[in-house]
Amino acid sequence: MWKLLKNDLIIERSNKKNIIAILVVALFVFGLFSYEKLENSQKLIDEKGSESQSLSAALTKFQPPDAMDDGTGNELYYNLLQQKQYVVNQSMALKIDRPQLYLDTGLKLVEVRASAFELEDYEKVATNLPTKTENHLDAILYQFMDKAGIVVSQDSLSFFPFLLSVFMMLGSFWFIFISIFSSGILIEEFRHISLIKGYPVSFDKYVLAKSTSAMLIVLIFIAEIFACSLPFIYFYGVGDANYPVAIFDGSYKVITILEYIGIALIYMIFIAIFTILLSVILNVLLKNMYLTLFVQLLLFIAPSLFPALVSLVPFNPFNYMNFTNLLNGQSLDLAKPVGLELVHGLIYIGISIILMLAAVKLFFTTGKLKKV
Amino acid sequence: MRAYFKFEFIQFMFNKKNIAVYVILLFFACFYALKIAPAYDPIEKVDREEIEARFLTREDFLNNVVLDENTYPLTRFAAAIYPEWNEYDKQRLDALAAGDMKKYAEATFNWYVYSDNMIFRNGKDILYYNSRYYTAGNLYATEDGHYAYMYSASRFDGYAKGDSNLSINVFEERTALQTLQRLLHSYLPLILLISCILFAADIVLKDKKNPSLIKGFPISVWRSLLVKGGVALTGSILTVIPLAVGFVIIAIRNGIGDLNLPVPVFSYKTKAFTTISMGEYLFQNALLILFWFFMLISLLLLVSIIVKNEFANLVAGCVVVFAEYYYYVRGLGYVKDIHWYPSSYVQVGQIIAGYREYLNNSVALTLKNGLLVMAVCTVICLLLTFIISNHRRYKLL
Repeated sequence: MWKLLKNDLIIERSNKKNIIAILVVALFVFGLFSYEKLENSQKLIDEKGSESQSLSAALTKFQPPDAMDDGTGNELYYNLLQQKQYVVNQSMALKIDRPQLYLDTGLKLVEVRASAFELEDYEKVATNLPTKTENHLDAILYQFMDKAGIVVSQDSLSFFPFLLSVFMMLGSFWFIFISIFSSGILIEEFRHISLIKGYPVSFDKYVLAKSTSAMLIVLIFIAEIFACSLPFIYFYGVGDANYPVAIFDGSYKVITILEYIGIALIYMIFIAIFTILLSVILNVLLKNMYLTLFVQLLLFIAPSLFPALVSLVPFNPFNYMNFTNLLNGQSLDLAKPVGLELVHGLIYIGISIILMLAAVKLFFTTGKLKKV
Repeated sequence: MRAYFKFEFIQFMFNKKNIAVYVILLFFACFYALKIAPAYDPIEKVDREEIEARFLTREDFLNNVVLDENTYPLTRFAAAIYPEWNEYDKQRLDALAAGDMKKYAEATFNWYVYSDNMIFRNGKDILYYNSRYYTAGNLYATEDGHYAYMYSASRFDGYAKGDSNLSINVFEERTALQTLQRLLHSYLPLILLISCILFAADIVLKDKKNPSLIKGFPISVWRSLLVKGGVALTGSILTVIPLAVGFVIIAIRNGIGDLNLPVPVFSYKTKAFTTISMGEYLFQNALLILFWFFMLISLLLLVSIIVKNEFANLVAGCVVVFAEYYYYVRGLGYVKDIHWYPSSYVQVGQIIAGYREYLNNSVALTLKNGLLVMAVCTVICLLLTFIISNHRRYKLL
């Protein structure tokens, strides 16, 4: 087994595909950096500006009687007015650099907002306001920062905040990237079957060695992401590794950037193993690199094409492939809300990996290869 | 050469991957026509109740307002601008009640011009566009509303002056041709370009499987590459067939529309809209997409003969198509010459409608420049391919 792996790695070393993939990863990191740099550095202030505009637009949906002061007014209308006042306060606090004021008004804002969801006719203004989940995430973030005395920061270019945005971005693309990378994993072998048959090992062992070497290359990609981000320390400093991020992992929670990166890494490794094994199986079944890729991508987008699938089949590992959306609690905003839990995702992906390994072991033993 | 084309084309058509691409496109076309298109909910729709609610409230205000020296300035402002505004709303309501589409189009045109004038120039932070533009997180809601109102004004002006058959479906851009127009404005170009990449990615490298056979053909490398490019181009154009199924479904449900329907086109130079006919709009789109196909195929041929790796082909194609996401920031065209990058022209429909000029504050993102950039890139790629493939020592396989 060990010799086989070594043999594989020597073959992979000269594979142009790996070199290109490594270039792509580097391009991704540097490209994202230039994008972050182009983006306005006063992003928070702009966001607050647009928030207050959205609120004003929402207010225009009400009729004058709603604003009457004699008690017949509409509750939601008053709620929105209050929200607007707090948003403007927050934006002011950012401009005059009073982080504590920002947090205090933020706390009031999320409270008022939370009560708005229960009010009558809320659907009328729902698109103008953040969703319930977003508001909840904001709420616990403000509470946490207030308690721990952390100052709001708008810095997105120093090492750790930048890594955070890299991994958030990767959450959506990782599965696609790995499936493109691994879709042809066995196709080359099928072209030289006589060579493979000459190996003194069974086919399942051979496949395992092949997958392991692919996985090692994936680990090189991950290391490369860190390596490519290192130069930015020189220009923009390390940043705060303990800056809080609010997530949903079954319950609402605040974690640090470092923990977020940790979760992302675990997920990325699980997804990579899952995808490589899926590629192997689809390769043997379909014997075509592109068909493998199409099937994988269709499975990947199926939950977004048919959102009802998510609540119907919560154990579908493809619900968990986009871990950024998972951590944002997006499944809670579906028509039929489901709380997809982080740990469950790992368990489901893990079970799928074991099942696929068993399938490889059972069906791909020597002799079956002749059919290929 | 003709025999070789036939040979390649048959291989292309029986390639599992290509069949799969056509099947997936067919699936998406049907999915769109049956599920997404009926759920389309335009912001600028023909909504009698909305108009009536606004009209009655303002009428009530105008009837009761008392203007004297103590009146608040904003009240004075409202009393000054509402009469004309309400006049247009009343015309719209009357036209709807009478079922006179022509009159409705005319009144609506006036309404949009007046509204945009009031909201954008006179009423910043007092008056607002349709509240659906101000979605949570949209930093440019006012600009979006401004564009949409100018666009609608120009559109309804076209309806009023043209002689097409008008209906509510036409006003809400639901007919088949208008749906196609909206799709060209959003993600249809991306789908077509990606299909083209998938078709061209293995067209050269599939020969690796049977080198001894291919080497026996009495055709030079350069000529065979040209034929392969031609086959990929033909295949890319044939994507129209599965997509047409979706078009037919929508046409049966909502009517086909009319090739003379007006399509508003924005020009950044004059900051105003003019209209062209639907037929012209579609023709211009087809032309630019065709040039995109030329460019992508020649690029992939070049990459194929240099790197000789299918993964590299996919990456190269995707980088060109998706590069815009990396440097796109609203208003960038004002400071940077992004009109020289081919990837700025990916959104074909938006280029022709002038929306990209509006987004990028650039005068140069036009169809003409797009065709020029594509042509130059194609020529460079083909020239390099020609030089390399004719090199004495070069071997394709």
